[in-house]
Amino acid sequence: MIMIAPTSDLTPDQLSRFIHGLGYKITIKETCYGANIEGDKDLIRKIVPEVRKLDPNRIFIKVRAYPIGDERRCRAHHGSRPGFNQMEKEWMDLPLIEAGLCAAESGEKCPERPPRKKLSVEKLVKIAEEETR
Amino acid sequence: MKVFIVPPNSLILYDLVERFGHQPLSVMGTLRERVTGKEMESPPLNVTPKDVTKGLKYAGIEVPSGVRGRLAVWGPMIDEAEAAIIMNDTPFTFGCVGCHRTNLMLMYLVRKKNIPVIEVEYPEDEEEAKIMVSKVKTFLEGLK
Repeated sequence: MIMIAPTSDLTPDQLSRFIHGLGYKITIKETCYGANIEGDKDLIRKIVPEVRKLDPNRIFIKVRAYPIGDERRCRAHHGSRPGFNQMEKEWMDLPLIEAGLCAAESGEKCPERPPRKKLSVEKLVKIAEEETR
Repeated sequence: MKVFIVPPNSLILYDLVERFGHQPLSVMGTLRERVTGKEMESPPLNVTPKDVTKGLKYAGIEVPSGVRGRLAVWGPMIDEAEAAIIMNDTPFTFGCVGCHRTNLMLMYLVRKKNIPVIEVEYPEDEEEAKIMVSKVKTFLEGLK
């Protein structure tokens, strides 16, 4: 599963065409977030670094459990999409990771922050009162 | 090195581990073998009644079967892991929908195992993301 960060100028169409252009015998599916590719493991290992080169810090890749077009997940077959909320949240936060990768590349020093504080009871009561007004 | 990630389905962690030259152990890889295998009795579900029994290795009988079923899939990955990255406060593992109890159990099993572990926070802004990525990078580069 190849996901393009929202800050990238690359489109799923360009990405799919690029992978097609590599000429490997694999299955490619263009999606709204990027593309899914499937095929021989060795071929996929060759393709992944090539794909990353297109926009190194804005392309994110992971393995997908279900095959392309699987009726249990494919929207065309009204499949359920239980992981969608997670993917959507991570996709929205990819620009943050991109900033992190750029900082790591440039060797920027990132001082540790104090740990996050828990919400106090007083503040929670205040929020609840505001909501019920 | 085989690096286990928590949450085990995180795109961000999977990508970072692979990007910095290690093999991520994720739930997607394990489930792929299951959902494409012929022996799956009820395809929309990813675990079988046998798995719930296998989960007893990782959690007691009093633990809900849903947690044990999940641990039957995730537990062997912890056994295989040589290092682990835990990302705390991920918004999508919150509450019963994200099966928070299984996640707590998973973190306990990871911490109990004597392997290098790093714990980072899910970033809420750019500064936090920079800290998170630099910590993960330093950890992964130090594993060789």
